[in-house]
Amino acid sequence: MTPSPSETATEPSALAARLAGLVGASGFSAEHGTVKIQVERAGWVEAIRTARDEAGLAFFSWLSAVDWSRQVAVGDPPADPDTIEERYDVVCRLSSVASADGALFVASLPKDDPRIDSLVPVFDGAAWHEREAAEMFGIDFTGHPHLVKLYLPEGFEGHPLRKSFALLSREVKPWPGTVDVEAMPSAENREAGEGGEEA
Amino acid sequence: MSALDAGGMVQISDAAVSVELVGEDMMLNIGPQHPSTHGVLRLVAQVDGERITRLEPVIGYMHRGKEKLAEVRTYPQITTLINRIDWISGFANEVPFVVAVERLMGIEVPERAQYIRLILTELTRISNHLVFASSYPLELGAATPLMYAFRERERVLDLIESVTGGRFHPNFNRVGGVKPAAGGGSTQKNVVLDLPAGFFEATLRTMDKVLEVCDEIDNLVVGNELIQARTIGVGVLPPEIVLAYGVSGPNMRASGIDFDLRKHEHLLPYDDFDFDVVVRSNGDCFDRYVTRIEEIRQSVSIVRQAIGKIPSGPLRAKVPRVLKVPPGEIYVRAENPKGEMGYYVVSQGGRVPYRVKIRSASFSNISVLPWVSQGQLIPDLVATMGSFDFVLGDVDR
Repeated sequence: MTPSPSETATEPSALAARLAGLVGASGFSAEHGTVKIQVERAGWVEAIRTARDEAGLAFFSWLSAVDWSRQVAVGDPPADPDTIEERYDVVCRLSSVASADGALFVASLPKDDPRIDSLVPVFDGAAWHEREAAEMFGIDFTGHPHLVKLYLPEGFEGHPLRKSFALLSREVKPWPGTVDVEAMPSAENREAGEGGEEA
Repeated sequence: MSALDAGGMVQISDAAVSVELVGEDMMLNIGPQHPSTHGVLRLVAQVDGERITRLEPVIGYMHRGKEKLAEVRTYPQITTLINRIDWISGFANEVPFVVAVERLMGIEVPERAQYIRLILTELTRISNHLVFASSYPLELGAATPLMYAFRERERVLDLIESVTGGRFHPNFNRVGGVKPAAGGGSTQKNVVLDLPAGFFEATLRTMDKVLEVCDEIDNLVVGNELIQARTIGVGVLPPEIVLAYGVSGPNMRASGIDFDLRKHEHLLPYDDFDFDVVVRSNGDCFDRYVTRIEEIRQSVSIVRQAIGKIPSGPLRAKVPRVLKVPPGEIYVRAENPKGEMGYYVVSQGGRVPYRVKIRSASFSNISVLPWVSQGQLIPDLVATMGSFDFVLGDVDR
């Protein structure tokens, strides 16, 4: 149980290809050194179990989600909304404790049916992460033993991390506010301008 | 009653009977305002006598919604948000995030800036572990070590403050490098003042003091029979549980897993230095404590080596004044004082990230509490909880 730290990391694109073959992925990438394996929703739990048992990615790092929306209530709207396929991506990060190897496993869920099997039978630690993703994104983790709210109070309505969920403080006080509008910084002092925005 | 009948002598048979008296389980509420919970953690324990049969941590009292807030802020503004996640080690929180942005933008950070980041990260680690080294014995009822370690921790914070201007929330990292020190000038053309005069000498002096306090703690705490009785064999985490719950950092290494992201992820030039990954095998509270004391010593060694090797040069790469990050996704993680701290940044192009997922160490580290507290006595729960070295800001984000 004490793996040697000297084991070297696999080159990201090679690791992505190997993992994709192992778990039967529908797609993979390794941009910016971040290995990403796309998995079908039906094979989600099996893929994670295989990655744990056969690829040595035994460390459960985190699980969360991304809301892909063409319209957003917060932040900058996407530059090219038409290219976005509306969905929720459930993202799970597993890594090795023998080398720097690690990968993001992603399953896409349709917006009208955000349901996926729970990973708790594979990793006990997934329980809290799934509770967080459930309340924040409104994703239903089938088979979760105790899918109640983690952070939010009982009776809280809405799913705060969905892109359709407005941030009240930004609604009340739009940004940039008056304090953010500053004169352009001089060329001599570049640092002074980095916190401020384009006037 | 029969104990009194026997003239005050407790008979063995009586003790056995009292253990077998099974009543209804009681629910015991601990917190959210409780000295042992480091902030606002609430625990609901189901107890049978003094033994815990089930424990449910209730978190969220410190939830500030940083992931949502990050979606309406520009990248440079987010560093102010994230150094408040784990406020005991603010500087270390910033590094993986700015590195994520730098990698998405393809920015090469000047070597001197990397060294300054490294030195400040290690000073942060020392300060974090000194807080742990002093507050943990306090939870076990030993008040004296607090004074010793906090004295040196204050010196370390003075060093961080002299460079960054802040004791807790430095906000010192910039995409592409670091800020000039408090009162310094331009970073790209010529360095006017990047570190305060006498910083290296003061650091080396403080490092000597830190080693002295480590020895004092060895005498006061590690060698203390009472502390040993409270911690050895208590709250044992086997390696398979560590992996299943994502417990990381010194907590993981105390359970015999030889893994330190400083050796694997190349955010900062740790490869230039000689240091040992501290690993212990028992996975109990005592080992978690000793691991951190040893890590302070390793960090002191890293800081000393870095001061001897720090190259000269610019502090910041050339970066556009308005940061526009090209579309892409990246996950960057680093060995924070409390464990694996990572940021999953999704950019759609533009000044504001589309999604930032914050992987904080304390969240996973305390998610194992229900497992580890099964069958524990309540005083042992306090000992176990403290030994994980969590901060509620890092749990709730």
